[in-house]
Amino acid sequence: MVPVQWYLLLATAVFCIGLFGILTRRNALLFLMSVELMLNAANINLVAFSAYWGNVTGQTFSLFTMALAAAEVAVGIGIILVLYRNFNDVDVTLAKEMRW
Amino acid sequence: MTTKPSLRIGSHLLPGLAAVALFVVMAAAVLRASFGDPQMFGPDAEITASIGYAMFNLDMGTVPGEGMLVAFIIIAVALDAALDGAILLAKREEDGSAVALLADGGRQVRDRFRGDAADTDRDAEDGGDR
Repeated sequence: MVPVQWYLLLATAVFCIGLFGILTRRNALLFLMSVELMLNAANINLVAFSAYWGNVTGQTFSLFTMALAAAEVAVGIGIILVLYRNFNDVDVTLAKEMRW
Repeated sequence: MTTKPSLRIGSHLLPGLAAVALFVVMAAAVLRASFGDPQMFGPDAEITASIGYAMFNLDMGTVPGEGMLVAFIIIAVALDAALDGAILLAKREEDGSAVALLADGGRQVRDRFRGDAADTDRDAEDGGDR
């Protein structure tokens, strides 16, 4: 049996890779992928502790988190589409103002 | 132009160090923590079936778990809203309706009603709303 600390370490690494992506990337698609990495790091924790405690609540909740991630991606890609339509680019630093 | 996934040491050094520092702090906290004795699933535990039962508040599973019917409904509504939002954002209509107002920043509607091409040119020159 793999100790639960290793799962947590994996989740931490995935979370920090996502954070690094958010801090450094300017491409909106890579930005979205980094957010997904951070979300999936939380999922790893949920599933690891679900197995650790012998309780399915964590796994059930991780399914809901995945559904929420799908909703987030749907809206995120819509926003990226509008970003490209308005700026001919998907660079997140171009959209600096809320007005048009 | 999209950005290439190249690592620029100059501008990426500080965020990279921040991410690595966070990893070190979290890893130290995780490796030092103790979580008690593991209970794990039994050899004859029906995990998938138990997840299905927990999702609909049915107390029939072999593995314990909380009922999540309310969360299920809320996520269903959120997914529906997200689907509608994505379609609204992606839709492009030629007649300059409210959908176009949202999707192209209102340029189409403004040009249609005011016909001010000069204003559009000004936007292109000084950055305007772009």
